[in-house]
Amino acid sequence: MLETSVVQVVARGADVAFVIDESAPFDVVASELRDYLSGQSGLWSKGNITINVGQRMLARNELAQIKSIIETHSGLTVTRFWCAPESLSGGDFQIEAKAAPILEPPKPPNPMVETEEQPVAHNEIVIPEAPSVSEPTTSAGSITAIEAIIEGLKARHNKNGARNRNITDALFIKSTFRSGETLEHSGDVVVLADVNPGAEIRADGDIVVLGSLKGWVHAGASGDAKAVIIALELPSARFQIAKYPGVAPTSARRTVKSSASGPMIAYVRSKSIHVAPYAGRFARYKKGVPYDG
Amino acid sequence: MTGKTIVITSGKGGVGKTTATANIGTALAMRGNKVVVVDTDIGLRNLDVIMGLENRIVYDVVNVIEGVCKLNQAMISDKHDYELYLIPAAQTRDKNAIEPEQLREMCAELEKDFDYVLIDCPAGIEQGFKNATAAAQEAIIVTTPEVSAIRDADRIIGLLESAGMHNPKLIINRIAPEMVKRGDMMDQKDVESLLAVEVIGLVPADEQTVVAANRGVPVVHNAKSPAGSAFMRIAARVDGEDIPLMDLEPKNGLLSRFKGMVGMNGRTYSHA
Repeated sequence: MLETSVVQVVARGADVAFVIDESAPFDVVASELRDYLSGQSGLWSKGNITINVGQRMLARNELAQIKSIIETHSGLTVTRFWCAPESLSGGDFQIEAKAAPILEPPKPPNPMVETEEQPVAHNEIVIPEAPSVSEPTTSAGSITAIEAIIEGLKARHNKNGARNRNITDALFIKSTFRSGETLEHSGDVVVLADVNPGAEIRADGDIVVLGSLKGWVHAGASGDAKAVIIALELPSARFQIAKYPGVAPTSARRTVKSSASGPMIAYVRSKSIHVAPYAGRFARYKKGVPYDG
Repeated sequence: MTGKTIVITSGKGGVGKTTATANIGTALAMRGNKVVVVDTDIGLRNLDVIMGLENRIVYDVVNVIEGVCKLNQAMISDKHDYELYLIPAAQTRDKNAIEPEQLREMCAELEKDFDYVLIDCPAGIEQGFKNATAAAQEAIIVTTPEVSAIRDADRIIGLLESAGMHNPKLIINRIAPEMVKRGDMMDQKDVESLLAVEVIGLVPADEQTVVAANRGVPVVHNAKSPAGSAFMRIAARVDGEDIPLMDLEPKNGLLSRFKGMVGMNGRTYSHA
């Protein structure tokens, strides 16, 4: 990890993320970033990066400035911004982009409703191709699309109260979830006991089991691949996140070594389910043990 | 007298429900209670055979419910000198011959005269199970330390809970302490942690149980039998006594070890 005072550059293999101190004034950030990048000019080759702006309120020109600083001082291309939904409402937030980052190519005339259903991450704005930001493109369709995503994020955010975007509709199960019992829930599910073999839980959100997960569970059942399954013990050989089925590896060599103790998390990475020791909900998980049978 | 009705159930067949019913019923009666055992496994009656009362059946539970006979006409008194009665199942009918509500009424009537009404539940989760559990206030689940039996017990506990019958008690039947010690069989802790219910009894595998069943004399009559004494202790716990569970240990004496070496070690186990 490389670090300056306000800009952190976090590099993991092919992925690079710039994490900008959310409390620093913008011009300090800009100059720090510029100094940092020009000092390291040889270091960067081509690649895609993500900017995480945290809780910062960014005006559109500020965002554009950051993007242009990074792209002129390094060979990198800014493809994504991460931000809190709060900063969307506060800042005059508009992102210029050439093409819509939408997975379904045909853009509906009123994408508001449609985009809510799209598997856009909780607070991620994706910019597919990096144009020179100093000259904003005027592709009306793409701007509408991104605005629609922002609207979607706002709607999601407002639904749960102004600053409580991480408060969700969770369902608590306080006793052992037994064989033959099934449950479907539109939010998250927390089980304060075991989920026994033969039990089935489907949740649109995350599934947390404060016990041993031996039954079949499906997190992100409506398609959210960012959903995770967390369990104190994960002996279950089969479960599902969004459309990705997880099947425990059969060869002993590849099983999770620390599975005997400590909570485990299952998540989707590169279109398959991985399982790793739990290290916090928003930790950046490296490649875990792939559950692909 | 207001007694209570206890259903003995398991989900899976062949784990020892009927044997447990006969033995707990007999043991409760031996302790001085007035007990009636009801066989609800209509069409596949067994309890009468295990209790040795097969030849004395005139009327059965379906006859009672259909009004063919009076309740006390269907009750068969046990051969021994304590108050134990059997209401047998009909062999020529099926589970749909009675309704849960009818059995509940019958048991409510029996509770007026008896300390304990024990219901021997059929295997499965269909009509017979619904009949048997509807009439009971408490449940005893019988399982063996095998994954299939435990899976079914888990399902049964869930169904009982959804029917409002919480905190069923668990009997783990046919434990082979030597296999447990070798790690070839689940032990009490494994079963308990999976099913998360209170264990009321551990019954060791004991060939005397089979011998006793074939003779029609429940194994609790055999004071030397480990399974018999296990059932006595279960009855004591049902009766409200607070006694610790048996510690099932394989016999570890010199002779037994020698027998084990030459493959002669039988199926009897010492217990605390």
